[in-house]
Amino acid sequence: MPTSRHREKRARRLLGLSIAALSAASMVASTATATYAQSVDLSKWSPEYVKSIAGTKQFDAAKDCGAVVPNDYTGSVSYWYTGPFEADPAIAHEQDKAFWEAFKAAYPNITTDVQSITYNELLDKFRTSLLGNSAPAVIRLQILGGVEFAAKGYLQPLKPEDVGYTAADFWPGALKSVTYEGVSYGLPTNNETMAMIWNAKVFKDAGLDPENPPATWDDVVTYSKTINEKLGIPGYGLVAKQNAGNTPFRFMPQMWAYGGGALDEASAEPGYKDVWINNAGSKAALQAAYQMYAVDKSVPTSALTNTQGENQAPFIAGKLGMMIAHPAEYAKMTDLASKATGADKAAADEVVANMRYGLIPAGPDGKRAVVFGGSNIHVVKPEFVQGGKVDEQAVKALICFWNSPEWSTRLAWVGSNPGNINGFLTDAMKERLDTIKFLDVTTSMLPNGIPFPVIPQAPEIMNIIVPDMLQNALTGNMTVDQAADDAAAKVQAIVDGGGGI
Amino acid sequence: MSTVQGQAIFRDVPEPKRVGLRQKVWNSRFDYLYVAPAIIVMLIVIGYPIYYTIELSFFNTPASLALSAKQFNGLDNYVTILTSPIFWKVTWQTVVWTVVSTFFAFMIGLGAALALHREFAGRGVLRAILLIPWVVSAVAASYVWKWLYHSDFGAISAMLTQVGLVDKPINFIDNTSTSLYALIVVNVWKEFSFAMIMLMAGLQTVPDTLLRAAQVDGASPWQRFWHVTFPHLRGVSMVTLLLLAVQNFNSFIIPWIMTGGGPAGSSDIWITHIYQLAFGRQRWGVASAYAVILFIVMMVLGYFYVRALTKGDDARAAT
Repeated sequence: MPTSRHREKRARRLLGLSIAALSAASMVASTATATYAQSVDLSKWSPEYVKSIAGTKQFDAAKDCGAVVPNDYTGSVSYWYTGPFEADPAIAHEQDKAFWEAFKAAYPNITTDVQSITYNELLDKFRTSLLGNSAPAVIRLQILGGVEFAAKGYLQPLKPEDVGYTAADFWPGALKSVTYEGVSYGLPTNNETMAMIWNAKVFKDAGLDPENPPATWDDVVTYSKTINEKLGIPGYGLVAKQNAGNTPFRFMPQMWAYGGGALDEASAEPGYKDVWINNAGSKAALQAAYQMYAVDKSVPTSALTNTQGENQAPFIAGKLGMMIAHPAEYAKMTDLASKATGADKAAADEVVANMRYGLIPAGPDGKRAVVFGGSNIHVVKPEFVQGGKVDEQAVKALICFWNSPEWSTRLAWVGSNPGNINGFLTDAMKERLDTIKFLDVTTSMLPNGIPFPVIPQAPEIMNIIVPDMLQNALTGNMTVDQAADDAAAKVQAIVDGGGGI
Repeated sequence: MSTVQGQAIFRDVPEPKRVGLRQKVWNSRFDYLYVAPAIIVMLIVIGYPIYYTIELSFFNTPASLALSAKQFNGLDNYVTILTSPIFWKVTWQTVVWTVVSTFFAFMIGLGAALALHREFAGRGVLRAILLIPWVVSAVAASYVWKWLYHSDFGAISAMLTQVGLVDKPINFIDNTSTSLYALIVVNVWKEFSFAMIMLMAGLQTVPDTLLRAAQVDGASPWQRFWHVTFPHLRGVSMVTLLLLAVQNFNSFIIPWIMTGGGPAGSSDIWITHIYQLAFGRQRWGVASAYAVILFIVMMVLGYFYVRALTKGDDARAAT
């Protein structure tokens, strides 16, 4: 009878063998994918270019992934992700259903154990499952979610070549978001960036150019003040709530544009050691927010307790001039307008008709930046997975299929873009561009995307310290300089492994 | 005869043998067996989490390490908490939140109980209406109040503007000076019904004859309340106040949903701060130490609660 030490040895040997097998398979797979690498020219990226390449190439996920893992492979894989829920549009449900049918058709002998978990529950549920060694083999997490688990040693290294792709098939910024201490721990499934949306009628009534958004963040301050003075409504939809992802997604682009940052994430080669949150650029961004909130009072007073969701109602009612919003915001506004009744309906329809999308404003020296959002797919180490093993081949088949040009586009239909940039060449992308208004604008911001710092402390920095700094300055609890310096001390402390309360 | 026999028997009875603890346990073995399932469940669902929280409070749990790789740091977490000015600011806010909420919920509850104790038409309907805040889900109530208070489009400000009392919306919860008190109003609204129910039950124990006798003796309504009614309510009042204080100390839903402890920490209380440290910042060690401090305070309050409940038992047992 084998002793526990023998069992452990055998498990280690098996693990070693499976890693070796995975590496060998990767090498084989990398040759199978070179066919469509670098067929998208990122240097030409613009709304026109995005439109011009859509629908120019056909892909066959079953065949391409069959070269990585044979289509007759027999195995099983467990998978957690945030799939479509009740509030999501029908098209999202249809694409999700179609994916699982297509995967079953391509790999009839791979059984899947799939759980769709809400965005807010997924991280906590995953953390709990890891402590109980009952995690799924594969998980898709929000872009910032994976680094915590990579740092803690729960994830297996995973790079594009492991599942039949190359690094050139993904956005460089997206690959940064899955790289921790030089090792890649996942693949980007979908990526999106936000844009500036505005109400052209409000702009016109305030005497501003209705067809162009503010070009710089300084213009945002001026426009917001003008709208507020002329029309008596908030000009810019500032959001500064603590512990809400909305806040850093809207404030960090402003900081980066002014030359600031939390750490050095906006630099060409970030090391995530230097604290930038109190540099001149960061303070200028904070001063601009302070000017709008405390001096001009041209943004919602409720910004300190608001999430972006609470800005939607005033926007659709024509009571808010502009805000930074998700690509899916137009669909949401259309949905809100369809639910309005009576006089509200007319007003909402008018707002939808006057809704415009534009690029996020630039900084004083023309620097334009936006948070690189999206999701990544990861593989969990066998010892933390339910049953203690991971079927590497089944895992690879699923990830290859999910990240294929066709499916990474179709699965991101409503609110995002394909993680695999070859998805921009597909018919599905063309159909999206034809049916989703402003999609060309939001996709054109992708090259300006900057991922949040890829360190396990990033959620605390982004969701707690940055909003806290904003609140301290906007409420007058501290001066702009004090708030920035206070935040810098906190960031430095937690990067150094400590931190107060 | 029988008396003599009885005396003889009494004299012959030996001193009762002292029964040891082991013997006592053995004699009651079936009693222990019956309560064993409940005790085991309590040990698992209450005892173990308490033990684990206390254990974690002596460890550093940086975001870059798995919880299993936590680093022992002795009393550092306690020192970090107790030397932080933020802790003392939040403690003061917790005291204000607890004392003011408890006082006003009790006083309004007492007033409502006294009013509803009298017979009048529609008393049942009014009692049901006053119970609504207590019955409504705290989560739902918090969201409703958040919109009532909303600093730009709140219903309260809209009404006040319409009747001309203010010319622009009042900033209730996005203001560091007023946010805590705005939340206390919601908390009092939510809790006063509980005090009302408890005190209405207490009022049933006031003898009608005493009140009538006092009235015949010419006592004013205030004198009847102070000298007859209130002394009978003292026990139930103590229990109600302690229960309200414990409940307020542990309050989470209203401050978390309405302000999340903000703006700039102005409405943070212990529980929201602990939650933020643990789940927002993944700082399990410090959050555990904080929770242990809260646990000790709650135990002290619990001691007084039990004392208030059992007051008089000893005296009754002696008679």
